[in-house]
Amino acid sequence: MTPTQLDSKNPGSALAISGLSKVFNAGNPNEVTALSDVHLDVHTGEFISLIGPSGCGKSTLLRVIGDLTGFDSGSVQVSGKSPQDARKERLYGIAFQQAALFDWRTVTRNIELPLELAGWQRPQRQERSAELLDMVQLSEFAHHRPWELSGGMQQRVAIARSLAVDPPLLLMDEPFGALDEMTRERMQNELLKIRMETGKTIVFVTHSIPEAVYLSDRVVVMSPRPGRITAEIDVDLGDREEMTRESDHFFRCVTSVREALRAHGTSNSTSSSPGGEI
Amino acid sequence: MMNTKLGHVWPPILVATLFLGGWQLLVVVQDLKPFLLPAPSLIASEFSSGAAMMWGAAYYTATTAFLGLISGTVLGLITALLAQRFITVDKLVAPLAAGLATVPIIALTPILNNMFNITSRTPRVLVTAIIVLFPIFVNVTRGLIQVHATQLELMRSLNATPRTTLRVLRIPNAIPFFFTGLKIAAPLSVIAALVAEYFGGPQQGLGSRIASAAANTAYGRAWAYVLAAIITGLIFYLAIIALERLVTPRKAQVSTTT
Ligand SMILES: Nc1ncnc2c1ncn2[C@@H]1O[C@H](COP(=O)(O)OP(=O)(O)OP(=O)(O)O)[C@@H](O)[C@H]1O
Ligand SMILES: [Mg+2]
Repeated sequence: MTPTQLDSKNPGSALAISGLSKVFNAGNPNEVTALSDVHLDVHTGEFISLIGPSGCGKSTLLRVIGDLTGFDSGSVQVSGKSPQDARKERLYGIAFQQAALFDWRTVTRNIELPLELAGWQRPQRQERSAELLDMVQLSEFAHHRPWELSGGMQQRVAIARSLAVDPPLLLMDEPFGALDEMTRERMQNELLKIRMETGKTIVFVTHSIPEAVYLSDRVVVMSPRPGRITAEIDVDLGDREEMTRESDHFFRCVTSVREALRAHGTSNSTSSSPGGEI
Repeated sequence: MMNTKLGHVWPPILVATLFLGGWQLLVVVQDLKPFLLPAPSLIASEFSSGAAMMWGAAYYTATTAFLGLISGTVLGLITALLAQRFITVDKLVAPLAAGLATVPIIALTPILNNMFNITSRTPRVLVTAIIVLFPIFVNVTRGLIQVHATQLELMRSLNATPRTTLRVLRIPNAIPFFFTGLKIAAPLSVIAALVAEYFGGPQQGLGSRIASAAANTAYGRAWAYVLAAIITGLIFYLAIIALERLVTPRKAQVSTTT
């Protein structure tokens, strides 16, 4: 099943945002318009990336979707529900740039945290966490503590945790930002595999143009002050394989994203991440 | 394993030997009088000849200290749990702690002695408890508050109530801070229990013995009691270290699978 097939088969709306604005410290001298008139629609099963220079509001947008912060005007619907209801019904899982694992829990018990809070019984929890550990290929580290794991492994645990209650939507804020390029490419392939297996809708924040292009069905380009969406680039790469990253089509997509980023008067210094200048 | 352990033990032993040797030499060569500075050999002989007395006095004071440590710790934990609901930023903890530290708690002893039965242990336990309360309160409150913002966001994304967040995130996060507080509080409880004895009441503790030995110009014996007090404080400290090892998982303790 390719991502595009998923799209056409399942046209439901995972995310509908219109006219969204968000102002920090309104009325104060340090007032910041983090988001201004943002429109975004995401289909069920679609993988979109948010890209843009530092401070353009990517994390803020993700936080609004996840009801981790409020917004000032516009409307946001997650699976047809308000962000607050969606959060309360655990309709999304979230992974951050820092793995944010609990040091006092083993890997398994970190993954089981969302299940515990959702009131799952112990046998079901154990069954589910074993399944997830297998999915992120960390079964042999089940009883290790987070500090014994490498950065990439910790990030995999965090991703497994975000998948625990099997939420239809996955929010990811630069989850691979701290990884070296080799690990990063491996993690990207693993994420695509998980996506294939689970059919989740994914909103992925990144600073890396190649990463955005490689992972997504659609790259959403943002620009700062005030934060808004300036371009959306459809990526139609089909099934990702060894050669995808070296195909002409891939480079054309990378180029159009880069041009979209440049077009809006931002030097985009932050997107010169590893691999960004091949 | 043995080698590394001995490697840790040798330097302090060497320093202690040099220190005591130098001290003895100074007293002998300069012919210092015991009221000025008694020789280590004199203290040692007083210590061993009065061992039963030392033990009894140390036991009395240690009991006071222990009761004060337990009750002060419980009070400190309760106040920290209450405070964490109101104090949300770490900046507020430090001035509060500094303000409380300036209260001359030990000076409360005579007042407490009047409030409670002076012949009982109660006023001393109370003073010790109040002194213990502060380091526990300050450190545990820190631990409950100093939680990573991302971890808090994670808890919110999981629709956790404040109570659940306290149980699942804040309390486990505070445990290392709690032990930091205990390591300060434990030796402090011995000092508090001892000093509280200077304000009258039962006379069988270390503080009373030091005072009466000094009053009787038995300086060697006074110093021997001081030594007993130091050892008692050290035992309290080591007991906390042992408890910490027992409770918190160490990196080395986790077995590796292949
Ligand atoms: N809690 C907050 N209080 C005040 N201003 C904030 C807050 N969070 C974000 N901002 C401001 O909102 C703007 C957008 O921030 P945001 O973190 O969403 O950017 P970003 O695109 O995620 O940047 P980066 O790529 O560096 O992570 C920035 O100008 C930031 O200073
Ligand atoms: Mg961000």
